[in-house]
Amino acid sequence: MRSKFGRRERLFGYSIVFPYLAYTAVFWGYPFIWMVILAFTKWNYFSKPRFFGIQNFMRIFTDSTVLRIALNTLNFLAYLIPMVLTASLLFALALTKVRFGKTFIMLSFLVANVSSGVAYSLLFSNLFAVNGPINRLLDRLFGITIPWFSNPQLAVFSICLIITWKFIGYYGLILYAGLLSIPSSLFEAAQLDGANRSQIFWKITLPLLNPSLITVTVLAVMLTFGIFTEPYLITGGGPMQRTTTFLIYMYDTAFKRIDPSYATTVAIVTALTSYVIVMLIRKFFEKEVSFV
Amino acid sequence: MKKLSVLFLIVMVSLVSFAVKLTFWTAPNAFQEEFWKTVVTQWNKLRPDIQIEVQTIPAAGSSEEAILSAIAAGNAPDFSENIFSGFAAQLAEIGAIYAFDNFGADFQKLIETRKMKSIMESWKIKGRYYVFPIYSNPMIFWWRGDILKNLGYKEPPRTYSEIYEVSKKFADGKKNFTMQVISGRNWWDRWFDFITYYYAATGGKPYIDVEKRKVNFGDEAGKAITQFIYTMFQNKWTAVELGTNPFYNGTILAKITGPWEVNWAKETFPKVVPNIWFSAPPVPDNYPKDKPIYTFADTKGLVIYSTCKDKKAAFEFISWVFSNVQNDVLWIEKTQMPPAREDLTTNPAFAKFMNDKFFKAYASFVPYAVPPALIDKTIDLQQAMTTHLIEPLMYLKGKPEDILSKAVKEINKILF
Repeated sequence: MRSKFGRRERLFGYSIVFPYLAYTAVFWGYPFIWMVILAFTKWNYFSKPRFFGIQNFMRIFTDSTVLRIALNTLNFLAYLIPMVLTASLLFALALTKVRFGKTFIMLSFLVANVSSGVAYSLLFSNLFAVNGPINRLLDRLFGITIPWFSNPQLAVFSICLIITWKFIGYYGLILYAGLLSIPSSLFEAAQLDGANRSQIFWKITLPLLNPSLITVTVLAVMLTFGIFTEPYLITGGGPMQRTTTFLIYMYDTAFKRIDPSYATTVAIVTALTSYVIVMLIRKFFEKEVSFV
Repeated sequence: MKKLSVLFLIVMVSLVSFAVKLTFWTAPNAFQEEFWKTVVTQWNKLRPDIQIEVQTIPAAGSSEEAILSAIAAGNAPDFSENIFSGFAAQLAEIGAIYAFDNFGADFQKLIETRKMKSIMESWKIKGRYYVFPIYSNPMIFWWRGDILKNLGYKEPPRTYSEIYEVSKKFADGKKNFTMQVISGRNWWDRWFDFITYYYAATGGKPYIDVEKRKVNFGDEAGKAITQFIYTMFQNKWTAVELGTNPFYNGTILAKITGPWEVNWAKETFPKVVPNIWFSAPPVPDNYPKDKPIYTFADTKGLVIYSTCKDKKAAFEFISWVFSNVQNDVLWIEKTQMPPAREDLTTNPAFAKFMNDKFFKAYASFVPYAVPPALIDKTIDLQQAMTTHLIEPLMYLKGKPEDILSKAVKEINKILF
């Protein structure tokens, strides 16, 4: 069958598509194939990969550290999702009330998002040190010091606090855009019907903000599975392994234990787990919203 | 004459064109880089047939990560420094490094020339020499002499009980703490706390029986150390996070450190430096007074990778650098770190450094500084020490003896 396009058009088409295909092949295809090879082999960076069947996957089920990290991840999720949603929502709601300097405020909050993880981790570890400025202030005011990074549960909380600080601006803007997309006529109609502020918030704003809230929740879940810099630099995965994350474990396994095959397998399982959790959230909490 | 010059030029150009070009990675440390650049420049002028290119180990989480990534990508250098013994054992295990024994009599001659025969013995991996040790840093304690003087002391405390006494006078658990008992939560920090204390308490006994692959530190010395760490945390005489520069701002009286801090401290805290007193790591109360106190040696060496283009050429360069005692003199001038030589205190070439109180202090500990166990599971076992021994002691999770025996069991499982 003859193509309806001429040679020149076809060439033009290929030239447009080629950079994308080449990019995908190099940065997605090649790593993907290499990942599959690694997961089913044993490799030590030096010799040729040796076929290992599904033993890397089997090992995950008997690895007590993986279980510890899975529990840690749930712990992080339990703190991070409510913290990040509440803080970003408050920021977005506050933005709707601001009349002047809105861009400046948005940019100020976004600075945290683009700042270096290493820099702010070091900053926070000094701020929250046992004799750091925060504890000195608390000691002067109330006579107490808080073991921010020394107590296992508080360490998880403190890291979530830092991550929330980093993402308020970014997630807040997503929610702010969601708030702006709700037609003001709906609020006006509710007010005319005699609804108070609380009723408007719970019955109109929040349900209509569902798509943005789900977006932020999904992003926060993926973020939780990718926590690395803060615990790596501040707590080193401790105390008592409570802030060890999948990424820290992968890094240590690949580069300290010289076992990139097992690290890849952990990465695959982590990605699948986060995907399942995201799908569950969408299935149970995502609602279709229409403003008509 | 003109013809001769042209001929000479042609010979030089062809030598450089056909020269072996080797890549050498140095530690990401400005002082060490300076040393290597100086000696490599001299060598490259001297030997146009073997040209060395110096590069700093690329920025990464650690030198080990950068080197492994390079090996994986097939971009490993020909040879590199900054290799600790445990990492060398791992590299030897996977066949990534080349044994120096292969150079036969030339290697033996170099060991003799550099006076490092017994030092080499502690670097044997499965009966072979894969690493050429460059420096050996004894870990010693720095004390704030000015504060101790005000507390009525003429010298730093020596035993655990003496440290408790000082603590009662100085530490308040909020702003003032006696010393940094635990160096951190990273796996390598165990070298600078528990392992150092163990060497000190036992006269340098190995903490791991490498041949039997069993833990040694579950003994009386181990019990005394765990009790010491526990007591310091229980009484809030030390803390987990002490903020930035606690030693220099007077929050703590003592910290353990290596000579790499000397130049920085002199530049950054010139007022504190003259008041620093030195001591060996603390020992149990019953440790004999006349017996020397051992400490940990932070030792790093040089390896040739199996993928090296011309191993003999690399060895020629290494041999040239370390056969000349003046290069070790230059090393000290640039880095302040004691070279891995046994004649530091006797060789006249190093006499001038003995006027420096820091170098003298470190050099005096070199004979009593013991390197880490040469075991391929270094990282795993020291991470397990953090999780099962140090952290439970820091957070007072159980009795010290129970914590120690549980840790020994867990670590033996890893070693088995």
